[in-house]
Amino acid sequence: MILALIAIAALLLPLPFLGVAPNRLLPGEGVSALDAAGFWVAVPVVLLALGAWRRLPGWAGAAAAALGVVAVLGLAGAAANDRLADLAPAARASFGAGFWVAIVAGLSLVAMRGAWMGLAVAVGAAVLWAMGGLDRLSLVVEATARADALQSAIWTHLALAGAALALALLVAVPLAWAGFRRPRLGAVMGAALSGVQVVPAIALFALLIPLLAALLRAVPALRDLGLGAVGWLPAVLATAAYLALPLWRSLSGGLASADPAAVQAAEAMGMTEGRILAEVRLPLALPVFAGGLRVAVVQAIGLVTLGGLVGAGGLGAVVFEGLSQFATDLMLLGALPILLLALAADTLARAAENRLARPA
Amino acid sequence: MKRFRRGVPALLLALGLAVLAMPEVAAWLMGGTQGPYPAARLLDLALDHAALSLAGVLPAGLLGLVLGVVVTRPGGRGLRPAADAAAAVAQAVPPIVVVALAVPAFGFGWAPTILALMLYGIMPVLRATVGALEAVPPETRLAAEAVGLSPRQVLQEVELALAWPLVLDGLRVALVLAVATTAVGALAGAATLGTPIVIGLQNQNQVLVLQGAAATAALAFLADALLLMAVPARD
Repeated sequence: MILALIAIAALLLPLPFLGVAPNRLLPGEGVSALDAAGFWVAVPVVLLALGAWRRLPGWAGAAAAALGVVAVLGLAGAAANDRLADLAPAARASFGAGFWVAIVAGLSLVAMRGAWMGLAVAVGAAVLWAMGGLDRLSLVVEATARADALQSAIWTHLALAGAALALALLVAVPLAWAGFRRPRLGAVMGAALSGVQVVPAIALFALLIPLLAALLRAVPALRDLGLGAVGWLPAVLATAAYLALPLWRSLSGGLASADPAAVQAAEAMGMTEGRILAEVRLPLALPVFAGGLRVAVVQAIGLVTLGGLVGAGGLGAVVFEGLSQFATDLMLLGALPILLLALAADTLARAAENRLARPA
Repeated sequence: MKRFRRGVPALLLALGLAVLAMPEVAAWLMGGTQGPYPAARLLDLALDHAALSLAGVLPAGLLGLVLGVVVTRPGGRGLRPAADAAAAVAQAVPPIVVVALAVPAFGFGWAPTILALMLYGIMPVLRATVGALEAVPPETRLAAEAVGLSPRQVLQEVELALAWPLVLDGLRVALVLAVATTAVGALAGAATLGTPIVIGLQNQNQVLVLQGAAATAALAFLADALLLMAVPARD
């Protein structure tokens, strides 16, 4: 399979697998996988090739590919331990393009053959980390040094995303109901909420600062409530503005999805408007709404990242600190948890959605 | 002409936003004492921005179209779950995160942004293509087969011909989103209309932020208008 070929080529070709630098500011000197690990490269190469072998059943192929990915990581860790043994503690070993290509192609192979084997990769990486096999890798050094800050950034990130989601729901639910009752109004809302999506996200986050500053100047009482023009407020407002569309659209779609015949039957039975809503419309709307909620949750986790630009903190602050210092480890340290959180939220929400969609 | 009229609201919106992005207008609105971004350089950035958006969206559109055709063929149906899952993952990862992950691998410049746009653009086109091909009535397909067309001719002359407007609609959505998203590239060192936004944020110059935002939105609506006018109306 093509994915295994890409991963193997990345390991065997003279691509920089590891970058070794005297400190974290200087650019590293590239070391290819063959130079870094010698004949040990054969271990991941064989495992990845097995992972792509069609004769193997899916679970065995996925397991081989997962072991191959862990082996790539282990080789990088071992090579870093080896190369940095004689150098000053400030010396850094960072991942190179060859490593990234091999890891991404390997993980894609795992996902193709059996996605749940991704757990095995996580367990393998955790074991390597616990055994000290990754200790000299720059990313791990940075993560250990910033463990506390990183942990609080993750919680801030989740809190911001949750607040934005709650606010968006608070706005979208009444809007969807009003738009459902008066379709003409609904069309206007749809156009307005879609229009928001065209505003570049960084601009909306940035423009909220002067707007909020003006508002706080006009109504100083708000300042006493702990609201500020910089910080969590612009991040939550801007994120909620983008989340409103998927929530509103799925709510409206869900409300409209009730079969008119079912509604008429309920009316004929003498149900009041409120009971029709509770017993006919909402149960039918729920699965559609669940899809919109999933999109909104995943988007919230991603969009809140830009809060780092307006002083809200969270993982975005780590990413932007890295981007402004050209510190790749910091960028990864911020971006990898966001990626994992978004994927985890997507998987969980998808499972919940499938359960809802199944007729009771 | 009907197709021409469809694009007019977006075109007017684009014009209004372009006026808003003009240095004098933005500076007057913000009451700024700091210098605005010169119009000539804003125009240069707009061209770079448009080129970068196209460089990301065209491969994504092609990939989405090809994938959409493959997973609706009898031989490719098995790939459908994998393609759906891959597109969903690509959509779940926000562009800014893709950029932050791609910078260590590819360095600063255009590459991280193109990658992010590609990942982001596949899903709308894939979804539109699959939806449009599945909406072709089975009787039409059977009739085409009955008159002796080969599977390839059925695809080219019947299915794609019928699906084309919907596919182009998906491409339009992907392009508009891409133009808005390309602004993020400024954080990875690509010259885009996000550049004044980032400079403005760093120097607390709100005039630059407004100019960059308005110009990006203007470009997005312009792309929307042009494609709306180019695509035949469906009805």
